[in-house]
Amino acid sequence: MFTFTPEDEKQIEKIVGKYPVKRSALLPLLTLVQRRDGYISPEAMKAIGGKLELSPAYVQSVMSFYTMYHTHPTGKYIILFCHNISCQLNGADDLLAYTSKKLGIDVGGTTKDKKFTLHREECLAACSGGPMMRVNDVFHENLTTAKIDKILDSLA
Amino acid sequence: MSDDNQVNITINDQPVTVPKGTLLVDAAKEVGVEIPVFCYHEKLGPFGCCRMCLVEVEKMPKLTTACTQTVMPDMVVRTESPKVVKAQQGVLEFTLLNHPLDCPVCDKGGECPLQDNTFKFGSGTTRMEFDRADNDKVTPLSPVITIDRERCIACQRCTRYSDIIEQEQALVMLNRGFKNEVHTFCDEPYATRYSGNVIDICPVGALTNTEFRFKARSWNLDNAETLCAHCGCNCNMTLGSRTNKLMRIQTRPNDLVDDGWICDKARFGYDFIESEDRLLEAGTVVGGARKKVNALDAAVQVADSLSKIVDEYGPESVGFLGSAYGTNEELYLYQKLFRSVLGTNNLDHKTYQDTPGLPIDHYDFLNVETANLVLLIGSDPAEELPILDLRIKKAVTRRGVKLAILNDQKTALDKFAELSSTYNVGADGAALSALANGLAEGGAGDESVTGISAEQMKSLVELIRSGKKVCVVYNPASLTGNSIHMLKHLLSVIGKIPDIECGAIPAAPSTNAVGAMDMGILPDFSPGGTPADKGLSAMEMIDKAESGELKALLMYRSNPVVDFPGGKRVEAALKNLNLLVVHDMMETETSQLAHIILPSNGPGYDEGTTTNIGGRVQYRRRGLNTKNLPDWKIVSKMINSLSEEPVEYITSFNVTEEISEKVPGYGEINKKSIRKEGKTREPVTSVNGSVPQVEKVNSADQGLKLRVATRLFTRDKILSTSSPLAHHFLPSTVNVHADDAAKLGFSEGDEAVLSANGAEVRAKVEISNRCNPGAVIVPMVADDQGVQGLAGGGSVSWVEVKKG
Amino acid sequence: MKILFKNIDMPGLTSLSVYEGQGGYQSFKKAFAQKPEEIVEIVKASGLRGRGGAGFPAGLKWSFLAKDVFPRYLVCNADESEPGTCKDRELLEKNPHLLIEGMILTSYACQVGTAYIYYRGEFQHAADLMDKAIEEAYAKGYLGKNIMGSGMDLDLYTHLGAGAYICGEESALLNSLEGRRGEPRLKPPFPAVEGLYAKPTVVNNVETLSAVPWIISEGAEKYAAIGTEKSKGTKLVSVSGHVKKPGNYEIVLGMSTRELIYDLAGGIRDDNKLKAFIPGGSSTPMLPADKVDVGYDYESIQAAGSMLGSGALIVMDHTVNVVEATLRLSYFYMHESCGKCTPCREGTRWMWQILGKLQAGIGTNGHVDKLLDICDNMSFKCFCPLGDAAVGPVASSIKNFRSDYEELVKKLQGGAVSV
Ligand SMILES: Cc1cc2nc3c(=O)[nH]c(=O)nc-3n(C[C@H](O)[C@H](O)[C@H](O)COP(=O)(O)O)c2cc1C
Ligand code: SF4
Ligand code: FES
Repeated sequence: MFTFTPEDEKQIEKIVGKYPVKRSALLPLLTLVQRRDGYISPEAMKAIGGKLELSPAYVQSVMSFYTMYHTHPTGKYIILFCHNISCQLNGADDLLAYTSKKLGIDVGGTTKDKKFTLHREECLAACSGGPMMRVNDVFHENLTTAKIDKILDSLA
Repeated sequence: MSDDNQVNITINDQPVTVPKGTLLVDAAKEVGVEIPVFCYHEKLGPFGCCRMCLVEVEKMPKLTTACTQTVMPDMVVRTESPKVVKAQQGVLEFTLLNHPLDCPVCDKGGECPLQDNTFKFGSGTTRMEFDRADNDKVTPLSPVITIDRERCIACQRCTRYSDIIEQEQALVMLNRGFKNEVHTFCDEPYATRYSGNVIDICPVGALTNTEFRFKARSWNLDNAETLCAHCGCNCNMTLGSRTNKLMRIQTRPNDLVDDGWICDKARFGYDFIESEDRLLEAGTVVGGARKKVNALDAAVQVADSLSKIVDEYGPESVGFLGSAYGTNEELYLYQKLFRSVLGTNNLDHKTYQDTPGLPIDHYDFLNVETANLVLLIGSDPAEELPILDLRIKKAVTRRGVKLAILNDQKTALDKFAELSSTYNVGADGAALSALANGLAEGGAGDESVTGISAEQMKSLVELIRSGKKVCVVYNPASLTGNSIHMLKHLLSVIGKIPDIECGAIPAAPSTNAVGAMDMGILPDFSPGGTPADKGLSAMEMIDKAESGELKALLMYRSNPVVDFPGGKRVEAALKNLNLLVVHDMMETETSQLAHIILPSNGPGYDEGTTTNIGGRVQYRRRGLNTKNLPDWKIVSKMINSLSEEPVEYITSFNVTEEISEKVPGYGEINKKSIRKEGKTREPVTSVNGSVPQVEKVNSADQGLKLRVATRLFTRDKILSTSSPLAHHFLPSTVNVHADDAAKLGFSEGDEAVLSANGAEVRAKVEISNRCNPGAVIVPMVADDQGVQGLAGGGSVSWVEVKKG
Repeated sequence: MKILFKNIDMPGLTSLSVYEGQGGYQSFKKAFAQKPEEIVEIVKASGLRGRGGAGFPAGLKWSFLAKDVFPRYLVCNADESEPGTCKDRELLEKNPHLLIEGMILTSYACQVGTAYIYYRGEFQHAADLMDKAIEEAYAKGYLGKNIMGSGMDLDLYTHLGAGAYICGEESALLNSLEGRRGEPRLKPPFPAVEGLYAKPTVVNNVETLSAVPWIISEGAEKYAAIGTEKSKGTKLVSVSGHVKKPGNYEIVLGMSTRELIYDLAGGIRDDNKLKAFIPGGSSTPMLPADKVDVGYDYESIQAAGSMLGSGALIVMDHTVNVVEATLRLSYFYMHESCGKCTPCREGTRWMWQILGKLQAGIGTNGHVDKLLDICDNMSFKCFCPLGDAAVGPVASSIKNFRSDYEELVKKLQGGAVSV
């Protein structure tokens, strides 16, 4: 069963208050749930739709358009590894392969201990700092294998 | 001549003048130029995603999409220039890139815009050398619709339909880019009331009719342009058959009626046509056993028996119970038989009170869109008149029309309403009077009686007063007791408000309810609303049958044992008759009691006219052949065997001719005038009687008031358990207000037993506040649910609700 | 000449007090003393052009707002998703108050009562910083009711997307902000007439709006005096790829690209030879090394066969086979195509499939020609400019570097690869 906590309800009220039309709160509410649960379940889609008077299908349709939403549980840390041109020119492909091997998962996979999920990502606006990756909300630039080791090993 | 609203342009060197705002794609049609389209659909509006309609417009730097570009003065358009041809070939190549080339086995073959456009505008070869995207092949989208995602060209017609027309957003695009796909929420069935229309608008074979798949090729079908016979909208449709078997039903757009759509009951609810329960033979019951007889002989026997009873007991001893499911011709002839030949005024077709004619204009469907305010009274269009439901949603969402609702139950349209007031069950008369008074002289009525607060009443009054054009849509069948008179009074009060244009639509759910009234199947009015000496109403006929004063009844396509309030009492009364004749197309609980049985052809096989709730008379064409006689022939046989002036009709249109001569309002109705879009009959004059007192709702010592709600998909004689629409059937439920649920100790999902009149109905409790406290709403979900057995008839019925 | 990056690395600049200490929020006095229309005129006169990609004059866009229709909205485009571009993020993370000030001025000029900053979803951190800055600005009375006694009310909110490049396109952005799929809208109507919630809306890039305070404080003439005749002012350029010192540089428009690469960005890595550069972000056609002297301004780059775009200079040295780079960009456009229109949805995928074949060394010259024809069938025939953007790298790489393609094709013909 999916429910919003009283704290969520407070947040939701604040978010909905930002817009003259409720529907605008859709992406923020999806994000709210995902930041809480790590992913968005069908029950959550229904509950969000209920809040905003949108059909569950509509919620799913919008959600599936955006790549940052997950429909299944993910790792505690989500790594978005940029492979776009500026990073590619500076060796991103090899570093991504290195990371994948280090974590023992394929791109798109989650480690058994549910700690890391690794995604290949399009340009994240850190081009002059490429190769780069985003781990949860934090951008890490000018990556090297040593730097990747240090970052990943430091995460609890 | 210059007209501000007209624009002159040239298309391929041909001049054309069209109204401002016309899209290029439509302007081109005016001069016979075809611009290919996929995503564009007139009813969905411009979208511009498929890029098939690119054209060249002088002074525009890029090619433009003709489906999104409106005409501008002196525009010079080319649709066949080398640039355009290259673009069209390019777009077609893209469109076909991942589309399977399986036309020979595709249901859409022969009527596929993709196939046609490829033939006309394509290059003939493909340069695709990779595996096509491997999207899912045939998957059920619902029990009646199959989706072949591999064939989808992502035109978004279907998803836009679900969004814009249905206002359901049930069918949506998931994902993005080349991964986008048409889906429902988590692949639940796409089960709206009007889902089937997506089959017709899909420009490829991606959405197909599950029943029709692989049954026949479109070009081998015999297509009859006919009407739907399920409800009072009378939507236009095409019945496709092959070797006299019904293959499929499709839309046949008529903007004046259906706006191009039909509901799923129209499209998929036809299994009754071949049902095992059909009455196909005439019969007489001798010693409890039914004996097959020739239909004409049976007709003569009916006529003789009726006339004998009249001779012996007088004309008041016989009666006719028709139904709003017959055509005007059939009903007219029966009316003639009983009124003119047998001399009785005991005719009726319904269990509620109603009078013909309106004190204000009789509005049609278009007025719903052009009004400023639609006032919906006691009506639940989604369940009763689905295509009216779509029209109201269109009016509200796309024409800026306001909607005000006055009802005893909450309905699906409430969320589209500016104001929605719920009166107490049974307080319709009081609420209507209060509103009429409020409009005429202020005041808000007694909230303790009506259930509507003074504040709400005031807002409603203001809303009506400020509507420049008001369209009242009311369902007479939902009104109790004599409330129809309060309603008509309300209409005349609205009609007298200065500076208001207004009209009404009497939105009774049954197919030909308006026609049945017009044809004089009423105890107190002969055809065309001409007052007649009062005969017995339907419920009175049941009473008199019970008391033995009524000796004979002819039931035409009516099943009172299930459909009338009273249940067992009705059955007993009918058993009491000397003669019960049932003329029907299905074996029913009532036909089981009959002494003489006559088969009726019914929709699909019959032909004749019906009059929809907007007053439009249209022709229901035969789509299938039968060896059985048409109903009108059986009735004329009865007339001829008794009358000095024999009638001679060669086709049903001869009856229509007589109607046009004899029935006020139908003077202009004839084969020619109704051929294409039908024709509105002249409104029937309304008789303005005095407004009776509001009936006092008798209160019971215990129990709750009962409101039986109509459902579109009911397990009955029309939709059987084996219907492809069976997934819409609901279990028996009772909607209880939270206050009452608390008093009765009910929680959601509890089993309840409702009892009254010695009848019992079991139902699951839904705590829903669908009505005001003090009442329950029971949707009629199946014949064998027996909910009408709880009702007493007349005004308000009370039921005892207990835990089961 | 530094306008946007004047104090960019000053510690604590994200706080209101430090920002004010650097002369921040001083433009209001001057602005509120004038009528909104006058501010529009000033920005028009400054020659400030949109920094989000299209280079449309900002003041002119503001003057297109539907007359007398309210409410109006201002939306700051902080979607920054064009490969190669990373300048807005630096502004957002290091100097949020500059943007707030610019948005207040713009709202005053355009008579806007509610403004949103639309961030790409990945900019959560930047948005959090901004929320703090906005809070401070409210507390100080720069936002909210009757700002500084001017009679002007403004609410400013942040809004995050969730991963979709197309949401940088202004009409897709508005859809996304309205809680819809980020598919672009039909134009016309343009946002200035029917934008957010179908009301008149101004959409501008972060950098564009951040330039407004300086223009108001220092005057239009001063701004217009910077740069070339038609490309006025300064521009942030994100330099990335094979340079020694990649980074965001604020330059005076018109500076030569050579200077940008070799002086500011320190030259090519390992002192390799320059082979190609993409001057304005992944959507803009790539140019060969011999165009390196082109002036970095809108007109000169266009004359050279490309576009200034969002100001993202991607540099490739001689070790690069252009086909590989093109394949990656082509994947990007396939991945980011919203799928609404046929040529873009199908064409991006088809091009990527063919490029993959070529890259794998199993393509033919016929494939190269077919690519050009697909480019032609897509160009200006898609619903929105993303389709054209997808064509840019493919068509330009074939035009300028056909030999790279032929080299791969020869592999097949030489029997190096068996099919
Ligand atoms: C596919 C596509 C992506 C775009 N992405 C961005 C973006 O990330 N940031 C941006 O400011 N403008 C972007 N734009 C341009 C916007 O549509 C719009 O022109 C701009 O935000 C207007 O602001 P400006 O006039 O200040 O440049 C994009 C345009 C297209 C067609
Ligand atoms: S299923 Fe048919 S109607 Fe729906 S998007 Fe695909 S092609 Fe269009
Ligand atoms: S019909 Fe015009 S773009 Fe589809």
